[in-house]
Amino acid sequence: MNKPDTYVGINNEINGGMTTIGKIIRDAWVFGILDESETCQGWNLAGIDGVLQKVNNEWDKYGCLVSQLPPELAKRHREIHYKAFQQAKEAGWSGEIETDDEDE
Amino acid sequence: MAKVYDAGVKEYRETYWMPDYTPLDTDILACFKVTPQDGVPREEVAAAVAAESSTGTWTTVWTDLLTDLDHYKGRAYAIEDVPGDDTCFYAFVAYPLDLFEEGSVVNVMTSLVGNVFGFKALRALRLEDVRFPIAYVVTCNGPPQGIQMERDILNKYGRPLLGCTIKPKLGLSAKNYGRACYEGLRGGLDFTKDDENINSQPFMRWRGRFDFVIEAIHKAEAETGERKGHYLNVTAPTSDEMMKRAEYAKEIGAPIIMHDYITGGWSANTQLAQWCQDNGMLLHIHRAMHAVLDRNPHHGIHFRVLAKILRLSGGDHLHSGTVVGKLEGDREATLGWIDIMRDSFIKEDRSRGIFFDQDWGSMPGVIPVASGGIHVWHMPALVNIFGDDSCLQFGGGTLGHPWGNAAGAAANRVAVEACVEARNQGRELEKEGKDILTNAAKHSPELAAAMDTWKEIKFEFDTVDKIDVAHK
Repeated sequence: MNKPDTYVGINNEINGGMTTIGKIIRDAWVFGILDESETCQGWNLAGIDGVLQKVNNEWDKYGCLVSQLPPELAKRHREIHYKAFQQAKEAGWSGEIETDDEDE
Repeated sequence: MAKVYDAGVKEYRETYWMPDYTPLDTDILACFKVTPQDGVPREEVAAAVAAESSTGTWTTVWTDLLTDLDHYKGRAYAIEDVPGDDTCFYAFVAYPLDLFEEGSVVNVMTSLVGNVFGFKALRALRLEDVRFPIAYVVTCNGPPQGIQMERDILNKYGRPLLGCTIKPKLGLSAKNYGRACYEGLRGGLDFTKDDENINSQPFMRWRGRFDFVIEAIHKAEAETGERKGHYLNVTAPTSDEMMKRAEYAKEIGAPIIMHDYITGGWSANTQLAQWCQDNGMLLHIHRAMHAVLDRNPHHGIHFRVLAKILRLSGGDHLHSGTVVGKLEGDREATLGWIDIMRDSFIKEDRSRGIFFDQDWGSMPGVIPVASGGIHVWHMPALVNIFGDDSCLQFGGGTLGHPWGNAAGAAANRVAVEACVEARNQGRELEKEGKDILTNAAKHSPELAAAMDTWKEIKFEFDTVDKIDVAHK
């Protein structure tokens, strides 16, 4: 199978969107970098990477920790990520998948 | 009439089977699990193992008059049944110290696991344990820094160290790789780690990786006020190249580097460990290929021997298995080789697969690294089993956190500190683990989310290699 040139969109992702790119997009929603209706479907890698750099810059303000977010952002983070967590579980994702390829 | 010699018909046991022999304190002792070909007497096979792993392959020529066979030969001095397995037996062999070059695990293993493993009289052979006499231990350099020095260098005391292997191993640019390290370290880890497959491939050459990672370390250190490290993998195609990478890691201020001691080779490892000791660097050791050698219960080299080899060759950390989690090993056997890595004196204990007393003298210990298939719910058991002088390494259990790398790291840091505090207050971790973690999660949304992510997971695979008594 050829490598796709563009991103499938967070709504069409594997593991119910519980992927590295999915996490970037959700954090971009939290910080207002992207509108919550933006799924990034059809974006190329450079577009996603640009969002990643902006997300990283935002996280750096809070030491990368959810527990250090100001109340309003913490609430927004909780709502967006809770919903995503439930959707991913309904789509068959579990923590076990995250340790599937582990060796020692 | 001239004396007639029948070449090749002299039985091994005439020379190498010595049941009355009392091993000397200076002998290197080995226990082999021997599976003979049908119909070959045990004493003959044991003697053959002793012969073929010592002087049996030495051609008999007039120079035998100059080198004394009786001094250098291995002596099979005992045989024992293997509990629960009639197909094989244990053979105990004593080797005189003078048979081996000082400070060379390479030389010792070339004899003990050399040609003898292809010997036709054997169906299978496994080196179960080796007793290195203190007279040999003191000729080896050992771990570059040791456990206490590592704690002093890092200024971290009273708890297990926390690490994480950076994934994915393919696809990350050096810059994004460095960012993943930073997030893990910033979230609360002590170390991040190169995957063992990451050396210097076209997609991420070693120098670029080292530069971005050291930037991540410095940034995390500045923000947390803690010493941080990343196991920069210096494993390389040649030892010259390995040393070049190690020198560069030191030059940019990295506190720790990493080597794969089996695939990289024991000569290279010993060289690197000595350099680390001379240059104040910590050395993390990965064990890729160990399962090729240690997994088959009847053939190969038991991991407790590979652990001893590493302690002699040199390393400050060694992957040891987890006891719990997806990649769990036999608990008693694992506890046995953890003792072998860390303690100064280990007594013979067959219930843990330890066949000999092992005296390490003042040689520093090696920190066992529990890694693979573990997550926050395993933390109480891991702290209980491994104790403080260990490194608990959560890969997917960090990076798989639904909120990202830093959140995964924070969850593990809060969990380990909660477990250590509870243990220090006299609570029973494995019984009260759920309460301890649940209580800690009230103050850590990252831990609460991690507990939600992994709570339903169970691992139910049986272990392949067990202590022999458990086989039947």
